[in-house]
Amino acid sequence: MKTPVKVFYSFLFLLGVTVLFSSFQKEKPAAIKFVFPYKQAGLTERQAAAHLISRFTYGSRTGEGDVDAVLKIGLEKWFQQQLDGKIKDDSLNTLLHKFDAINLSNTEVENQYPRPGLAVRMAIKDGVINKDSVNKANGKEYRKQVQDYMESKGYKPQQELFRQFFNQKILRSAYTNNQLHELLTDFWFNHFNVSLTKNQSASFIPAYERDVIRPNVTGKFETLLLATAKSPAMLMYLDNFSSSGQQTAVSEGSMQMNDGMMLNGKAAAKAIARNRAKALTLKNAPAKKKQGGLNENYAREVMELHTLGVDGGYTQSDVTQAARVLTGWTIAPMGENGYGSSMKNLMDRVGDANLEKRGFVHDGDFLFVPTRHDNGEKLVLGKRFPANRGYDEGVELLSMLAHHPSTAKFIAKKLATRFVNDNPATALVDKMAKTFLKTDGDIKQVMITMVSSPEFWAPDALREKTKSPFELAISAVRSLDAQINQPYQLYVWINKMGQKMYFYQAPTGFPDRGQYWINTGALLNRMNFGLALASERIPGIKVNLSAMNGHHEPESAAAALVTYSKLIMPERNLTETVKRLTPMLNDPELMNKVETAAAKAAPPEMKNSMNSTGEELMMAKADQDASKVANKGYGKKASKVVMANGNNTMLAQVVGVIIGSPEFQRK
Amino acid sequence: MTSRRGFLKAGGLALFGIGLGGIPGFLTEAVANTRAPGLFKRKKIMVCIFQRGAMDGLMAVTPFTDQYLKAARPTLFMDAARGNGKNTPLIDLDGRFGLHPSMAAFESMFRDKRMAIVHGIGSPNTTRSHFDAQDYMESGTPFRKGTDSGWLNRAVGLLGHDAATPFQGVSLTSSLPRSFYGDNPAVAISNLQDFNIQLKGNVKGANMAAKSFEDLYDTTSSGLLKETGKESFDAIKMLSKVDVKNYKPANNAVYPASALGNSLKQIAQLIKMDVGMEVAFAESGGWDTHFNQGAETGIFARNVNDLSNSIMAFWTDMGTYQDDLTVMTMTEFGRTVKQNGTGGTDHGRGSCNFILGNGVNGGLVHGLVNPLAVENLEDGRDLAVTTDFRSVFSEVADKHLNINNDKVLFPDWDGNKIGVMR
Repeated sequence: MKTPVKVFYSFLFLLGVTVLFSSFQKEKPAAIKFVFPYKQAGLTERQAAAHLISRFTYGSRTGEGDVDAVLKIGLEKWFQQQLDGKIKDDSLNTLLHKFDAINLSNTEVENQYPRPGLAVRMAIKDGVINKDSVNKANGKEYRKQVQDYMESKGYKPQQELFRQFFNQKILRSAYTNNQLHELLTDFWFNHFNVSLTKNQSASFIPAYERDVIRPNVTGKFETLLLATAKSPAMLMYLDNFSSSGQQTAVSEGSMQMNDGMMLNGKAAAKAIARNRAKALTLKNAPAKKKQGGLNENYAREVMELHTLGVDGGYTQSDVTQAARVLTGWTIAPMGENGYGSSMKNLMDRVGDANLEKRGFVHDGDFLFVPTRHDNGEKLVLGKRFPANRGYDEGVELLSMLAHHPSTAKFIAKKLATRFVNDNPATALVDKMAKTFLKTDGDIKQVMITMVSSPEFWAPDALREKTKSPFELAISAVRSLDAQINQPYQLYVWINKMGQKMYFYQAPTGFPDRGQYWINTGALLNRMNFGLALASERIPGIKVNLSAMNGHHEPESAAAALVTYSKLIMPERNLTETVKRLTPMLNDPELMNKVETAAAKAAPPEMKNSMNSTGEELMMAKADQDASKVANKGYGKKASKVVMANGNNTMLAQVVGVIIGSPEFQRK
Repeated sequence: MTSRRGFLKAGGLALFGIGLGGIPGFLTEAVANTRAPGLFKRKKIMVCIFQRGAMDGLMAVTPFTDQYLKAARPTLFMDAARGNGKNTPLIDLDGRFGLHPSMAAFESMFRDKRMAIVHGIGSPNTTRSHFDAQDYMESGTPFRKGTDSGWLNRAVGLLGHDAATPFQGVSLTSSLPRSFYGDNPAVAISNLQDFNIQLKGNVKGANMAAKSFEDLYDTTSSGLLKETGKESFDAIKMLSKVDVKNYKPANNAVYPASALGNSLKQIAQLIKMDVGMEVAFAESGGWDTHFNQGAETGIFARNVNDLSNSIMAFWTDMGTYQDDLTVMTMTEFGRTVKQNGTGGTDHGRGSCNFILGNGVNGGLVHGLVNPLAVENLEDGRDLAVTTDFRSVFSEVADKHLNINNDKVLFPDWDGNKIGVMR
């Protein structure tokens, strides 16, 4: 009897110690509870590390020796660290410091970077520009007038805001230590796509990525969904900001034409007849003052694209009803010249103290306006939303969508498509969807389920994804340890390769499949990008090929080929690539030819693309100027960094071909 | 059969080509139906323009006598009569339909019977999602999402001769559109000038790199990269012969400095280069006018202005090639009859499209538009789709490109054609 008692006591003691100990160790992260099944798939630990890097970072950095670094930390622990996203980013933050516009609030943006049309309107209001001169013949003089006016008021052109916005994304992606967070920011932005093509929402987009997407990329899906629903960018992009319903008696108020089809037989006919009568009486009435009306756009896309998926089991009636639920969700006024002067007047009339009492919800840039809300009863996906619930019913609706089994499946499939392969196995998607439902939509847990599944490590997943143009560009600068002084130059190339960042017009976001990215024109531009980057023909992107190899000069051309192939594409089978590139080195006159050509070479043009817009050119120049300022400390030599001189060595050419090679397009 | 026709046709073309500097419309028309293009000879070309975002057909071509429409659109409705307080009335086409005043460039084409309009065109699938509707229209199978090819790609496959050139199907976009997905070769080009391996100031280096790339792509294990690589190098070889930088449009044509204008200009260049293009595709954006779409002026007016001016610049530039061309616009659906609360229109059903060419049954608004009383509307809100888009697309493909295998071009469809082509 004694022994068990002793054991029992020592167990208690141990427990006590453990509890005591752990209370001192609150900082210590939870133990890793998952294991990656790569060995079962026949992969070595090195190969597994390379696979992780290729899928959860923008590519390995030669200088950092990424594969070794991951091995040292341990694969699972490395992944957990990436999910946590709390690694220090001091050097990146220093780089980002020079961008004064990227941390502005929406209100500050609205008041410092007025939309092009707004500046003109203000100039007219202030009597600086005559209304009749707008869009008239002498464009040059007119533009100068607007420009002078803006300068006098301290306003800056919107393109400057966007230039900084593009630049920060490129620098973050290239240099952050929290790579997975940056990839997920890209993923979720694309999932909840908003587009700079829509002018009205454009100025809200930098804050959208920064405040709505980036902080929530590994949290609960519901949080992300609600944050996007309430963001000015989304409210504007999918028009919900303007959607309003009548606030009247429940039965009459909701009888809009859109709801006619909901009603059965007689009631529908009556509603239609009434509408028609109403419409006809309006015939000669003067245009009513702008008052709003139901807009289904957001309600439809939130189901089709953000949550349930197109086959997720909803009907046109669900869309209309959900749109009614979300009426009154709009954007809060933003400062003196910013968005929403009419809302400001309304709020002033009600008075700050009374807002909450009257059912308003003012949360940052979000505003719920009860007088624009359709307060009748609604029915969405079989769930009844009783009348008069105001803001809360919208939150309830989004929560219901976020937890729907169709959503779990849709999100799981989209994540698997991004991180595993273009056609993920149903078994994998089901596992991830199960985790999604079990964990209240915990994105971290869904990601862990994905990487812990054999499908992630299967042969049909390895190297099967094609890099998007953005991924190609960033992985190339990472692999060459390039110094990015003019990020906008990369933006121009990414655009040429078929991905106009932040400009995908449709709410679908960019398609995530190789077929979409790879076509004749785009592929040639990928090859040209490789050549231009390695030979330092991209202004403001500095490459030091010698430093990449620790300043060891390869013994021969053949050795250089092997060495650099391995540096750029670690843990890949490169036999074929090396074999195919060897003839390139065997031309006896190669060096002569190259040097002669180089001597004749004209200085590279800054821009040579026929369809580049004046705006692009301007932005590129601004980028260059910014770079000059940044390099000022180095005196005259600094301008050499700014303008690419071109590197015509054989090594540069070999490296360029490697970047443009089919193997490097895969991840 | 085919080869004999091809021979005759090719001979005829060469003859007239030399003698008259072009082929008279009446002669080509007479043999259009039996024509099969010969290698490296001028071919019939179908140019498709997709207006993404869903064009409001009721504003582009307005049934202006319809009182229901007038009532449903207090601020958007326009009239064809002068003296209504507006300086720019609609262009009265036939006493019932009026062309938007910003599309004045089209008027002469319509009056010359070289432009046809189909109104009430759309998809039998009632989806009002851009993504789905575009997907269905481009795949050509409105009830099947899984169709892996696009209708233009299948059209290329049905031309009846092997591609002698990678430019048989060309899309003036930076990536291939859904319409061109599939097994038949098609090229996406956003800028002809970029179509080469480039190493500024180092031509020899570029040539060597090109050789290496060609080898690498030829041997890669990725089918996608291998196929596309081959296409790319074939294409370079074809384009290397011409100076595209200093292009001067013919007949004083002036292309708008817009995305569409630029696309059509490059299509014109490719046609004049005789690279063997037979199906071309371009895009026009900004049609999703939920908010303040404007009437005589505004977003919509600017869009249709760009559309019509771009197309007419292209038509003018093509000059003696006009007989080879049919230009057709398309859009995924129309917009609500009633204007919404934000000065715009929401996703609807039927819209209209424009077909231009010397073989078109022009000067007519085809299709059926009933009075827009609520009981005549789809779901009580939208212009009803009375003409299946496949009916029009297949007729144009048939009469212009001699593609008459509708079972392959549009599987699942066996409807009637409505006579938009002569």
